[in-house]
Amino acid sequence: MKSIFPLRSLRLCILGASWFLLFSSATAQVPRAADVVAPEAYVSLAPVPRGRAVELAVVARIRSGFHINSHKPTDEYLIPTALSADLPPGLRLLDTVYPPGQIRKFKFAPDGLSVYENGVTLRMKLEAAADAPLGQRKVPLLLHYQACNDEVCLPPVKLPLTAEIEIAPAGAAAQPQHPEIFSAPAAKQ
Amino acid sequence: MSLPSEASPSMDDREAGASKSGTGQGETPSPPSPVVKKAVLIIVTVVGLMGLAWLADHYLPAAQTGEVKTAGGALAPNVTFRGMDGNDVTLAQFKGKVVLVNFWATWCEPCKIEIPWLIEYQQKYASRGFTVLGVAMDEEGKQVVEPWVQKERFDVNGQQLPINYPIFVGNDPLAEQFGGYIGLPFSVLISRDGKVVKKQLGMILDKDKFAKEIESLF
Repeated sequence: MKSIFPLRSLRLCILGASWFLLFSSATAQVPRAADVVAPEAYVSLAPVPRGRAVELAVVARIRSGFHINSHKPTDEYLIPTALSADLPPGLRLLDTVYPPGQIRKFKFAPDGLSVYENGVTLRMKLEAAADAPLGQRKVPLLLHYQACNDEVCLPPVKLPLTAEIEIAPAGAAAQPQHPEIFSAPAAKQ
Repeated sequence: MSLPSEASPSMDDREAGASKSGTGQGETPSPPSPVVKKAVLIIVTVVGLMGLAWLADHYLPAAQTGEVKTAGGALAPNVTFRGMDGNDVTLAQFKGKVVLVNFWATWCEPCKIEIPWLIEYQQKYASRGFTVLGVAMDEEGKQVVEPWVQKERFDVNGQQLPINYPIFVGNDPLAEQFGGYIGLPFSVLISRDGKVVKKQLGMILDKDKFAKEIESLF
């Protein structure tokens, strides 16, 4: 059967697209600030019975070649990584746990900076109140960070993400979730 | 995995459908006209390139550190900077001078490495009609930038010196008018006649080479 696409034109299209991709990757090395970190939210229990504590984790992958400041940077002017939550009624924040940063030296910081590289897991400890509204609840989160590579710093970013928590009656059976994240104790900075 | 029969009609169904919509047994469908071929080709190409552009935008890096390509000495944008004293200053007011606009922030460590070099450029070349204009990009603006500028001292050839060039407060829309801004530091070198000669995203890596580029404009 004769194709609807003339072969020569199709070849030209493929060639053009290949050039486009090659050109894009050859001239580009700095992503937009919001694309440096890819966070995902996880919850340690499902459902969460009223009166029980629950943990929430934000697992953030950091683009190779970039770092973000730790929660306690080495200079007061550096922007710390921070996680905040707009908690719905019935959920109370007990603690936010940030891991210690790694001290890394850069061309622009020979004395070293406290940073997160490759990835970082931030954890929030919450408690469901005895009268927390039952059912599925969305927890809007905001991850605030500022990223740099060896030569350039990107503007600070507030990246929104959402965790979902299901509140059950007190005493309901609760299944631990994501042991790969929550089984290890959180190291605090 | 098998799909429901509605989603995946059997061969018999397809054949039945084909015979219903076909032109009759034994006939071959007429080839599409050249106009239809071209239209399909254009649509496929445009949609494909739009898809690639979207993919590139989301999954490929967006800019490169180092010198940003300039469009052969395009005129610098006619921007207005807000001074620390609250007064506005236009870039046009510096026409006749060689100007280095340096976007920076107090939270930007690579920016701080450059500052002693910028102080030195200002010391060496101000008398020849040169100025650095420092544009701080801190969101909090003057309340953070002003005390930092007043407090900080920089090692310039063994001397501890304050910033000796004018500092303004800027924002992303202002920086974006120069084109190529995606992060800090971001420097734009402008000739006496107001043309953009060089744009640098990221640290100035070679202080002396950059000085020669400034000198070439006198």
